[in-house]
Amino acid sequence: MLSSKSSDTPFLGSPDTLEVRQAEHPFSFRNSKDEKLNALIVEAVNRMGGVGDDAEENYRRALSSLTKRGPSVLDVVAAEYEDLPEDSYLDRWSLVQLIVELRYPEAVKPLNRIIAARIPGEKIKRSHDMSTVAEEVMIRTTAVEGLVRLSADGVPDAREMLLKHAAHRTFSIRRACVQGLMQTGTNDDKRKLRRLLKERKEEGLLKIKQVDVRSVPQPIGGRFVVPPQVKSEAPPPDLRATKE
Amino acid sequence: MASCTYTVPDKAASGDNFYGAVICNQAYVDYFWNTYGFSGNKAYWDDGWGWDDCCNTSKPLARAFNGCYALTYSASDYLNDSYSAPILNWGRRYVRENIDDLRSFCGDGTAIARSKSGGLVEVYLGFFYSKDVPGRAETLIHESRHQGGKPHDANFPSGSVFGSGKSGADSSWDYEGAWMYGALYLWWYYAVGARTTSALRERARQRGNLVIDNAFATHPGFSI
Repeated sequence: MLSSKSSDTPFLGSPDTLEVRQAEHPFSFRNSKDEKLNALIVEAVNRMGGVGDDAEENYRRALSSLTKRGPSVLDVVAAEYEDLPEDSYLDRWSLVQLIVELRYPEAVKPLNRIIAARIPGEKIKRSHDMSTVAEEVMIRTTAVEGLVRLSADGVPDAREMLLKHAAHRTFSIRRACVQGLMQTGTNDDKRKLRRLLKERKEEGLLKIKQVDVRSVPQPIGGRFVVPPQVKSEAPPPDLRATKE
Repeated sequence: MASCTYTVPDKAASGDNFYGAVICNQAYVDYFWNTYGFSGNKAYWDDGWGWDDCCNTSKPLARAFNGCYALTYSASDYLNDSYSAPILNWGRRYVRENIDDLRSFCGDGTAIARSKSGGLVEVYLGFFYSKDVPGRAETLIHESRHQGGKPHDANFPSGSVFGSGKSGADSSWDYEGAWMYGALYLWWYYAVGARTTSALRERARQRGNLVIDNAFATHPGFSI
């Protein structure tokens, strides 16, 4: 079967043009003169975005090196988070994820500060798929995940914060706190939570269950079936070993 | 014609540094170019968009290829793209079969991507620079679902981060629309995504939950 697509014929009219500028490193480390520690933080954030069969192993190794430095790491990471520009959403998220992974009980305070911080108004008003509020909410629900892990580790302050933020004004944050406390809290915490939800007429939040992906309805896939002779197979996922 | 500039954010947490090191291979470039709608659209990926510099992950084309890599290889058994397998497996097939032309534009800052008639999908600056790598795969699946015949059919629910009462939501999970496809892809990526890290999988989980909580007129009643 011949492709109906045109070849890459040069354009007569011009499409859009783009000029890309490379930003400097996003972290300033203004409050940390410990260059080795700073390098460990950068390495851990870098390894978050790894790919390949050894990606997780490399990431864990970077985290392990950082963990050896003790809870004082938190102050540096939290200071960097505060220093980043508001619209560096992914970079801000990566630092919150780092705090979550380090799993220090001392992280309750910075995590609480991140969740409690006011969410700035939506900057992209005429869009259905872009939202600065959504980016801010993901940063905060990730911080909630940090509290949930600490609560599971038996840190009482983390449970207290989950209960507090179960009344957050943003639905996703409330939902994450409710689920986290129901999974990791004591019976007393759960009693307090149920009372809170009853007062707020939000008992429906208890009905939203965390489930395995295999148990939810799956879609029926394609509308078309491509004849086998047209389908070309993807090359193997790691060609680096054979690269010249 | 529009001209735009963009300052590239840090490429670490997005996954671009590492995915970028992998996709710089002619076999991948050829496969992605010929499979996911780039072919025939060179003009839209030239003039700063990376056609002549397709390993440079500061530029859009390499960042799009990174998304294509995640789309293609995130299932451990990626060669099985049967529709009876999870969407993590057949997402790449669905994109392949529904996007005929993938073109880049500056955009007006109000959309990540748009689905046009006849298999054409336009991707804008936000696709390359505000989405992480698995998020770009999610977007391609989302837009493919529109090409597959499912427009959004409802308004966002009260309190939605996407804007209460605005159009652009799906009515329910069972509608099997673009939001469901994207969320489900992220969910599987979180659950069993291969060749990635637990951090990027957690990012997929947070984004998937955000979609589930905010993009359906009726909440599905479950979360990741």
